[in-house]
Amino acid sequence: MKRALTGVAAVALFFVLGGCGGGAETGAVEGRDGVAARGTIGFSAMTLTNPFFKIIADTMTEEAERHGFEVVVSDADRDVNLQSQQVDNFLASGVAAIVLNPVDRIAIGPAVRRANEAGVPVFTSDLQAVAEGVEIAGHVGTDNYQGGLLAGEAMIEALGEAGGEVLILHFKQANSCVLRVDGFRRAIEEYNSDRSDGRIEIVAELEGGGLRDEGYRAMADGIQAHPDLAGVFAINDPSALGARTALEQAGRADQVRIVGFDGELAGRQAIREGKIYADPIQYPDQMGLMTVQNIVSYLDGEDFERVHLIPTRLYRQADAERDPTLDQGP
Amino acid sequence: MPEETAQPVRGRMRRLLSGLVDLAGRRLSVVVLLLLCLISSAATWREQNPITKRAGAAVARQVLEVCPVPCEVLVVVRDTAVDRAFAAAIERGLAAAGAPIAGRVFGQPRDVRLEFERIARAGGSVDAIATHRIASEWGPVRSAGAPVVAPGSYSWPTFLTPRNLLNVVNQNADIAIIALGMTLVILTAGIDLSVGSLLALAGVIAAVTAQEWFGGAAASPAGLLAAMLLGVAAAALGGLLSGTMVAAFRVPPFVATLGLMMLARGLALILAVGHQRRLVGGGAEGTPEAVRVGAPAFAWLGNGSALGVPNPILLMLFLFVAAHLLMTRTMFGRYVYAVGGNPEAARLSGVPVTAVLLAVYCLCGAFAGLAGIVDASRFEGGRPNAGELYELQVIAAVVVGGASLAGGRGRISGTLIGAMIIAVIQNGLNIAGVASYEQKVVFGALILAAVLLDRLQPKIASRRARMTRGSTSTPVQ
Amino acid sequence: MLELHRTSKSYPGVDALRGVSLAVGAGEVLGLVGENGAGKSTLIRVVSGAERPDGGWIELDGEPAAFDSPAEARRRGIAVIHQELSLIPQLSVRENLFLGAGWSRRGLVRRRREEREARRLLGLLEIDIDPGASCFGLSLGARQAVEIAKALALGPRLLILDEPTAALSPREARALLRQVRELAGRGAAAIYVSHRLEEIEAVADRVAVLRDGELVHSIDRRLPAAGGGGLAPLDRDALIEAMVGRRLSAEFPPRLHEELGEPRLEIKGLSAGHRVRDVSFSIRRGEVLGLAGLVGAGRSEVARLVFGAAARDRGEVWLDGRRLDPRSPRQAIAAGICLLPEDRRGHGLVLTESARANFALPNLDRFRRFRGMVDRRREGRAFDRWRGQLDIRLARSGQRVATLSGGNQQKVVIAKWLERGAKVVLCDEPTRGIDVGARYEIHEWIRRMASKGKAVLLISSELEEVLGMSDRVLVMHEGRIRGEIADPAGADPAGVLRIAAGVGPSEEPSVA
Repeated sequence: MKRALTGVAAVALFFVLGGCGGGAETGAVEGRDGVAARGTIGFSAMTLTNPFFKIIADTMTEEAERHGFEVVVSDADRDVNLQSQQVDNFLASGVAAIVLNPVDRIAIGPAVRRANEAGVPVFTSDLQAVAEGVEIAGHVGTDNYQGGLLAGEAMIEALGEAGGEVLILHFKQANSCVLRVDGFRRAIEEYNSDRSDGRIEIVAELEGGGLRDEGYRAMADGIQAHPDLAGVFAINDPSALGARTALEQAGRADQVRIVGFDGELAGRQAIREGKIYADPIQYPDQMGLMTVQNIVSYLDGEDFERVHLIPTRLYRQADAERDPTLDQGP
Repeated sequence: MPEETAQPVRGRMRRLLSGLVDLAGRRLSVVVLLLLCLISSAATWREQNPITKRAGAAVARQVLEVCPVPCEVLVVVRDTAVDRAFAAAIERGLAAAGAPIAGRVFGQPRDVRLEFERIARAGGSVDAIATHRIASEWGPVRSAGAPVVAPGSYSWPTFLTPRNLLNVVNQNADIAIIALGMTLVILTAGIDLSVGSLLALAGVIAAVTAQEWFGGAAASPAGLLAAMLLGVAAAALGGLLSGTMVAAFRVPPFVATLGLMMLARGLALILAVGHQRRLVGGGAEGTPEAVRVGAPAFAWLGNGSALGVPNPILLMLFLFVAAHLLMTRTMFGRYVYAVGGNPEAARLSGVPVTAVLLAVYCLCGAFAGLAGIVDASRFEGGRPNAGELYELQVIAAVVVGGASLAGGRGRISGTLIGAMIIAVIQNGLNIAGVASYEQKVVFGALILAAVLLDRLQPKIASRRARMTRGSTSTPVQ
Repeated sequence: MLELHRTSKSYPGVDALRGVSLAVGAGEVLGLVGENGAGKSTLIRVVSGAERPDGGWIELDGEPAAFDSPAEARRRGIAVIHQELSLIPQLSVRENLFLGAGWSRRGLVRRRREEREARRLLGLLEIDIDPGASCFGLSLGARQAVEIAKALALGPRLLILDEPTAALSPREARALLRQVRELAGRGAAAIYVSHRLEEIEAVADRVAVLRDGELVHSIDRRLPAAGGGGLAPLDRDALIEAMVGRRLSAEFPPRLHEELGEPRLEIKGLSAGHRVRDVSFSIRRGEVLGLAGLVGAGRSEVARLVFGAAARDRGEVWLDGRRLDPRSPRQAIAAGICLLPEDRRGHGLVLTESARANFALPNLDRFRRFRGMVDRRREGRAFDRWRGQLDIRLARSGQRVATLSGGNQQKVVIAKWLERGAKVVLCDEPTRGIDVGARYEIHEWIRRMASKGKAVLLISSELEEVLGMSDRVLVMHEGRIRGEIADPAGADPAGVLRIAAGVGPSEEPSVA
């Protein structure tokens, strides 16, 4: 009897599924019937809840269509296990190429190796894989170290001659963030090297998770521990915005300057409103575009730059005021 | 219960009917699984491009049709074992007819271009290109000007390809293995939220000890085994801890295992970061990345296979048989069902209730640990973030498999089917390209539906008993 | 008021009710008797809206009534007191009494008024329980009493009582019977279902006997001449005959032996909190020792202490001259003590499991092959043997024990201890809620156990049973043994009751 009920449950579910599956199916059919004459590209994104990766996915889809490819986008949801499974699924369905934002630059190795063994080229975007014995056909990413240097410059500019204590909201798990912080530290060190007063001192590195809520919590604790804080460098916009909220609540928003990273919409809006001082901005659209172009070059047998790092550019309030994509309030 | 009345013929008819109803009831979850497979198949009906020896022979024949014998043929495939076998079949076919081979490319599109340039420099020519569907879309092949021959594609559900079916089971082997332990816990009316964290802890401990105690990249198989067993033992110990809280101190299982869940996750992160820190020689650096294991043999359990079947699947099947026997044939199994059905009656019947609960949580931890070893082996390193939210998927598998959260009812075979139902749904959604947001909705609905049915069960059961004449299981006082 | 017209109800394989026509009028109490499985419970379910009849119809106040749910029946003034308890243990007695029917003003519970009303209701039933007490700590009997008070709180027009006194002390039972009569005197109707014919005699105006789903006998006891005054005496033998369809030889089976052996179980100074105080006694081989007393006197607790199911404060348990002092049931079972618990469904059986699995639970070590594997064939053979000997009626051996009648459930409990071959048998209310036929068989079993040299402790709230079955009876009151009756067969039940109630002169100091 019990079994029967389970069965009924599953049948009910299957109707739910039928609904969802159906919707997805038409999308795939369109792709196939339309221009996907040359094959499919599988893209496993870091997480689609972050607009940054969504932009990569959208530009890829658009650009690939122009070249006659269909892009299947999967959300790895920051889970390397899920990402590995997605790679296996891509291989099972016979894609022409695979694109990854590696969730874990080491643990993704075995999955990439399976793709290598199946003869399917793997491209990475934004983040690089460093696992041993794997072949990555091409990488397009941000020059994070250069971005870190720019962030450091922005911080120096923001604090002016007075200098002061600075705190870093890190996300150590991501190698890109490690590079950003390295660059940031390098810029600050250089600045400090020839002066005795007005120095900028990095007093703490807190784990902000690259997320708004975690960044908020970390910052709230940070103000307690370091009451004389003058600046915060957050390794991306969500954690920068979280830090801003914490500072506002503590009534210290005017005293502490924030430098973020990314230049996603919410971040740029905050720069426009003066809540964040500046961002080195990345170009996810260019990443998507160039990744697809690399794939096409690969399949056409043409040479291309195996590792391409797109430099960032510093984006300040003045840039935001000219930015047509922003809500230009009073 | 007077069930045999004066009409033996009618009685027999009724019993036959009840037997049929019962059978359908028992097998319905299997029917549902098959139905889901059918749906997944329909949703993944795609063009398939064969790269087989037979396809290669067919290509050879077709090439000979396109250009008769003194015909320079270029064979283009990728540099993989499957492609090479396919290419060999083409060449055999061509050689049998005496067609010359202008050249062969085992590689990437770029290699094809270079080969054309080489042939051109050598003054040769290519009259036909023999390849498969995927390479036929490569730029240099398309623009070569020579006729391209590739095997015809056929339509077949991607879901139903052997590779995908093995994928489906392999990807969910860890969930299924943990679900075994969870079945035991749920049978005792408990719940174990710590399984995901114990999975991570076991994997990290195995990886760290393999690296630091057993020789790292040079570790012997025995050393690696010892490291893995240490990981499993640690997870079992964790289970024993929550079991003690539940059995001896009457802490609600939800709370006890919630505590352990955080504790084990924290330990896994500390161990992993500590290891990274030692790697770079002290200092503040240290990231919660996977702890990489250098010894290649470490990957055997997760990535190896026997007779074409991945090892995690074999391990899963072995554990399922063992757990099934444990629960149906041994005293311990009977004790577990009794403790779940009515702990007080079990105690008054001489069942060592505390010991049974301890053993159940300990086993659940051990199963989670085993899954952790599989995971670590699969990723060639212990991941401190592994298994996040696994507890929910595992509980869903068990509940969908028909176990009652109230305890006392459920089967290992049901859990296997439950795990497979979840695996098939997930795979079907993935292959059909359903985004992860919608997948979450589906899984949430799945769990709710299963739990709701668990709650509604007595009502539906009595209604069913009333509607179907033939079952004798209605109390009449 | 309520009329059933040729009402039928079938379950798969069973015609539980076959065209029963019955009527209960205002101010009337209908006694309903019959063996288990005769259709009494089905009849109650049909009347209370829990089930719909397959055939015939029911009229309430002359109008056809088809209740879709028990809630609807309740709205029409039909209250049912079930055998299964439905109190919420976390709530107090008062809160349980007025759950869903309390007094409130603007959503706030009018606590004082409820409290007053609760005291009144409990007082009517002569139940000495504090309305503020939590139901969690109440004994089964007390909970049953609260259950009855809860039904009365609704002021029903038709009250249905299904074995209401099974867990009540005699005093509480008498008070309940009086309440039922008073209710009838105020113009309400009642259907009173019981195995206890003396209660039926005390309360019923008319008696209907069901057997195999049919109405086989009906007696109207109101004397046509007396004008509503007295009731004619009840011919119990005729009733029993109608119920079972055969005449039983005697009420209790005869003793199988006379002489008793060495002391087998000796209890010295057993104490646990205020519930059991300094209890000492011994039972000899072949002896049935009765333990009488009111509900809450500590009798069940004594059995649980001897069985190791509850923690002792002090005291010793000796078995066959060796000190045992079991600290868990497992230890007691290993030593050869077994317990038929008072709460059969809650403590005796794992309801989610089959009869066979329940039978096998304490005996798995006997069916062990190697490494803890269970030899299922040996298990099946053993079960089939006892199933035949005890006449346990099952559709198949894998049948869930929850679906069995009370008598068959108790037999399953007995079978598991029979297989165990215990030396000491502790029976706590072994025949509660069990029909006449099965009850007789259980009594026979007790006799057989004794004749095999086992020591039997028999706890029962039915004085007749304790006195009729025991070689010796101890009477408990408030945790202490207050008296001993050496010749139960010839004892005066009233005297026993006085000791149990703590009013009679304690004859002699209790004997160890």
